[in-house]
Amino acid sequence: MLTVAPPDAVELRANATFEALMWSLSRPGDVRTLPEAGFGAIVETLVDLECAAYADTPEMRARIVASGAMLAEKVSAADHVFLSELDSADIAELNCGSALYPDDGATLVLACAHQGQRLRLTGPGINGSKDVTLAVSPGFWAMRDMLCIYPEGFDIFFVDGTSVIGIPRSTKVEVL
Amino acid sequence: MAYVATRGGEKAIEQAERLFRQDLGTIDAARVETIRSTMPYLIDRVMGEASLYDEELAALALAQTGGELSEAVLVLRAWRTTQPRLAISRPVQQHEILTQRRISAAFKDIPGGQILGPTLDYSHRVLATDVLEGKPFAPPEVDKAASPAPAQQPSLAEWQRQQGLVAPANASDVAPEDIPDLTREPLLFPASRAHRLQSLARAETGGVLALGYAAMRGYGNAHPTVNELRIGEANVVVRHPRGTEFSAGRVRVSQAEVTSKEKGGYLELGFAATFGWNEVKVIAAATLDLNSDEAPVGSAVHEEFYLYHTESVEASGFCIHFKLPHYVTFQSILDAMRDAKAKKAAAEAKGETYVAEPEEEPAL
Amino acid sequence: MSLATLTKDWAATSYGFLDASAKRELRRKMLKAIAVPGCQMPYASREVPMARGWGTGGLQVTLTLVNPTSVVKVIDQGADDGVNAASIRRFISRVSGASETWDTLGASIVQSRHRIPEEMMREDQILVLQVPNPEPLRGVEPNISIARQMHADADYGKLWLTLYEQIVRKGRIMQGASYPSMVNGRHVMTPSPIPRWDVPKLNMARHLTFLSAGREKRLHAVPPYTRVEPLVFSDRPYLVEDHADLTCRRSGVQGFFMNELPQDGGGSVFEVSDSNLGIKALNKTEGAPTEIGETWYRNGEYSA
Repeated sequence: MLTVAPPDAVELRANATFEALMWSLSRPGDVRTLPEAGFGAIVETLVDLECAAYADTPEMRARIVASGAMLAEKVSAADHVFLSELDSADIAELNCGSALYPDDGATLVLACAHQGQRLRLTGPGINGSKDVTLAVSPGFWAMRDMLCIYPEGFDIFFVDGTSVIGIPRSTKVEVL
Repeated sequence: MAYVATRGGEKAIEQAERLFRQDLGTIDAARVETIRSTMPYLIDRVMGEASLYDEELAALALAQTGGELSEAVLVLRAWRTTQPRLAISRPVQQHEILTQRRISAAFKDIPGGQILGPTLDYSHRVLATDVLEGKPFAPPEVDKAASPAPAQQPSLAEWQRQQGLVAPANASDVAPEDIPDLTREPLLFPASRAHRLQSLARAETGGVLALGYAAMRGYGNAHPTVNELRIGEANVVVRHPRGTEFSAGRVRVSQAEVTSKEKGGYLELGFAATFGWNEVKVIAAATLDLNSDEAPVGSAVHEEFYLYHTESVEASGFCIHFKLPHYVTFQSILDAMRDAKAKKAAAEAKGETYVAEPEEEPAL
Repeated sequence: MSLATLTKDWAATSYGFLDASAKRELRRKMLKAIAVPGCQMPYASREVPMARGWGTGGLQVTLTLVNPTSVVKVIDQGADDGVNAASIRRFISRVSGASETWDTLGASIVQSRHRIPEEMMREDQILVLQVPNPEPLRGVEPNISIARQMHADADYGKLWLTLYEQIVRKGRIMQGASYPSMVNGRHVMTPSPIPRWDVPKLNMARHLTFLSAGREKRLHAVPPYTRVEPLVFSDRPYLVEDHADLTCRRSGVQGFFMNELPQDGGGSVFEVSDSNLGIKALNKTEGAPTEIGETWYRNGEYSA
């Protein structure tokens, strides 16, 4: 009565991408490996016609349109935001959801080298504390502190090639 | 492995299912076709609750479950949920429905006329026992009207609007793809109007009837007058990628509009519609809709109350889940109870008074 | 853009039963659930070929996670061969090609109703708990919209009051299973109807836990190393079930959560609730090579 085909390449890629994203958010600071470099597989895994997404490059905008999602004109209208570089004006606009619906807070996917500023992370998912390096200025973290009034806030994936580091809104970040 | 031998869940569930299926015997296309062609109102009810319009699949679901209605609806919903959404149809307008039956209790006659259409309303409900004695019942032929009623009929509420009896419709130009879809997003409260009507459209007929009836008897704040009840067929109009609109087929639909009292100088309207011909359901559902605006929280006509509790798959599933073992939770309750009793006995043994309270389970 | 790029070949059923859009929605909500531990995230909750209330929430999470290399363990009341556990496990393996196991140590995903296994779960394992009622405030506030506002305001006064009243009336907190617990110091969650014995296993655990209610369309999560604190008063310690001194009549293990079996003529005997732990202990007694993992409780004392 029930015959199921084995997973195709798209299914396997989405499954592996989600696993990387899930564990990276569950253990902030841990580096996980995506099956494919860049943002493409992440869009495929998370975004479809039920989403509104923003991107700062024409290629990513085309990718979003192809997923069926609504292309947001402004960061504030997006539930998924894909940035090739950090722009504090964009960050200030991120949707942080509400205390009633914290899930409305945006997911930010950011291209970012996993080197540079040293940070100390504490919070859920971390046994004690965890140090990471990310090419993000201390000002970004000050801004995040201002915007994310827990449980409101946004959640970030820092993508460097095939490597991803997740920092959810529940993580406390100390600039070292 | 004595420990394992006393168990054996896998074999038991397989054999239990076989017993059920054995009683139903072989299911073939002929049986499905018989159900489809002889039980149209049952098929309609199942299609409505499954929110899947396909007479053949509904008949198959009934055949496969032996007519266990909640199981039939579940198996259809589980199939439906895996199907892609290929297109979103244009909303059906009342005046476009190919109307077979249309009545109003609010006026003796209405523009377009009262059309009784097919109904048992005025029949004498007598069992045709002759059939069992070998005398088939052949329905007498219908006398054709002198002039056929027009297939399409105007909306009564539209006439009432022109007369200033009903508030102007706040027509919203929402693109069809932007209409919230209950099957793709969770029901949150206060529910959007689209979600409320979708939820009622797929609600369990008996559940809607029970709560709607409660509202009619006085547990609501409005006693309904049937403004317009309509059954008919609606074209499913979709847009071709090239831009032309076309009908992909027709579906049987029912809709009811009920009214009660004045609010802000206008008559209030309650509305419901569903797949298939199911008059009881749409009248009861429209009554719930009519009553919900001023409903006290927690009452049977409050939308959170009636939408949650008339969801057929959720209600029936939760009800039968109590057959599953609960011995771990029960053990946990027993433990707390025994300890409390021991504490009480110890206190009494020491001559202390113990405040006796009625036995009750925690409400959490 | 052509039609070919928008469509794919017809298949009777999607891999893992759920279609791609259902999985994407669950993934989005599962990430948000991790980001805000213990907070209930609403989701559409598709129908699956099982009745609501029979683990459809847990099943949707498992079907989103599963792939052909997954190893799945499913338990009901602690037992792998409970009829519904067997049914769910068989369905998962049929639609995903995942392997089945009874061994907690060998599983990548453990889906459970009402228990957490006694063997400690590892960093790479995921526990999926089936949840009948995700709302810990339901008993004090049946209206879901008002309860949501109370969570938004971190207003748990009514819940504390109920627990306090139980102490005044009964001399102890009477809550059996589903003990309300504070997660990450902010959201009170239900840990699902696991016994009080199991709640400490969620506190600062090494594994990731999803709790999903299909009928009620809400899911929440407890990431690894997250504080999960049962609501108790500082002068009234948290009490787990008094099972530390009970012995399993079949396997002889002691110091774990037990099932009580009433006997003719009065009295009861006990069997270990984690059925595969019992099997392992029996095998070990019989000299078969068996690996029993580190357990959360040692000699009846929680010690992780």
